[in-house]
Amino acid sequence: MSKFLLFLGCTIPTKQYSYEISVRNVLPKLGVELVDFAEAGCCGFPLKGLNRRAWVYMSARILSIASKKGLPILALCNGCDTSLRKIKDILKHDEALRKEIADLLSNEGIKLDVSAEVYHTLEILHDFVGVEKIKSMVRRSLKGIRIASYPGCHMIRPSDIPHPEDPAEPRKYDAVLNALGAEVGYYPDRGGCCGATMLPYSARHALLIAASKIKTFKEYGFDAVSTSCPYCMEMIDGKQDAARTEVGDESISIPVFYLTQLVGLAIGLEPKELGLNLNISPVEEVLEKLGVSLYE
Amino acid sequence: MVVLTGGSEVVALEVRLLDSRVLREVKELVRPHSPQHCYQCAKCTSACTATKVIPDYKPHLIVALTRLGLIKNLLDSGIIWACTECWKCSEYCPQDVAPVEVVIALKNLSIAMGYKPPEDLKMMAKNVVELGYISPPIEVLSKEFEMYGRNALALPELVKPYTHEGTINNLKKLLGGVYE
Ligand code: SF4
Ligand code: SF4
Repeated sequence: MSKFLLFLGCTIPTKQYSYEISVRNVLPKLGVELVDFAEAGCCGFPLKGLNRRAWVYMSARILSIASKKGLPILALCNGCDTSLRKIKDILKHDEALRKEIADLLSNEGIKLDVSAEVYHTLEILHDFVGVEKIKSMVRRSLKGIRIASYPGCHMIRPSDIPHPEDPAEPRKYDAVLNALGAEVGYYPDRGGCCGATMLPYSARHALLIAASKIKTFKEYGFDAVSTSCPYCMEMIDGKQDAARTEVGDESISIPVFYLTQLVGLAIGLEPKELGLNLNISPVEEVLEKLGVSLYE
Repeated sequence: MVVLTGGSEVVALEVRLLDSRVLREVKELVRPHSPQHCYQCAKCTSACTATKVIPDYKPHLIVALTRLGLIKNLLDSGIIWACTECWKCSEYCPQDVAPVEVVIALKNLSIAMGYKPPEDLKMMAKNVVELGYISPPIEVLSKEFEMYGRNALALPELVKPYTHEGTINNLKKLLGGVYE
């Protein structure tokens, strides 16, 4: 099976375009067929504080449409991925809620069926394509570049449901980076939160969380960071300048890449095919080392 | 912490709340987790993302106050919205209390009681009902100082994910009260 419904969520198709561009250009080259899933929309995860039922309904709706189509879902966003998995679990254990959600869905002619399989980008790369195949396709090795993998918290939490990474031993992300030739390494609190969800409450405090993450990457001697979550990207890449200003620390500066951007670079795609001109952080530092120019 | 400074008047009000339908709702929402099993070890707070930058935010205290029904100041101060929903507290709790679920329940409860959420969240709810996404697609600035939208990037046009009246009515019923 290598055909997936491309579930973009909210953040990616409305502002984190480089993730969508790199996925659309990289995955088909690795033998993965993507089918647009335009009727999906928001998974509801960012709204669970407002109304938990709305969240359950929105994710259940997406799962039900996918189940009817008979195709597995590829969730690019950590929030979407966790949301769909968690909803399966919640509905399994709560009959009253199941009935309520089934009623809501019947108002729009949808039958509740959350059986659709859910996969995250990392699983597609690691489990379906596989590190050996990726290794064999590398044309531009990332050798000598030390990259901190920052998968994002919902890659492993809450650990009472299945996740793309094994919460006890999250090794897949680093395995993919290694396959590209990059060096990886330890840093504390790798499963830590980027703070994005705090933005509506207090942008200033959310920036403090992002700043402290970036400081850690620097202290542990990394050349770059990679994430596969659009919220982490928004905080660590998009708000890097704001975080630096907030804490007044000039050392807060590091290139940040989506995992799919790094895979694309390594298999020989050009920066614009990966949306690298849209990254805010100084990705040029790494591109220079690879002998690639962003502006050609 | 601000939430402990309420006078006897506030406490009296909260004790009344304790038996109310809304508080039963909190218990309902956090199932199958059980706030009653909390023994105040504060491991949740030691792991908490929000505590690190907002020391007044302490999940173990929020669990304790919720068990007592003393939630008025938690809701009045709006501090519950500081939670990043990172689920760390849940992982660290030795008693399967899941403080994050308690906080989400309190957030839901505050909305049901007519408290206002942070403005950006209100906008997100409105956008989801009207557009299907938490925000409209924006134009972003590239490193060459050019503005790019989906079109210029050759990405397919973003259509509204649902047109069925049933979907829109469902969403309005669930989220309409948040922003109307
Ligand atoms: S970790 Fe669990 S038991 Fe300990 S204080 Fe927090 S909620 Fe209570
Ligand atoms: S989910 Fe909320 S309360 Fe729990 S650790 Fe994260 S920020 Fe703290």
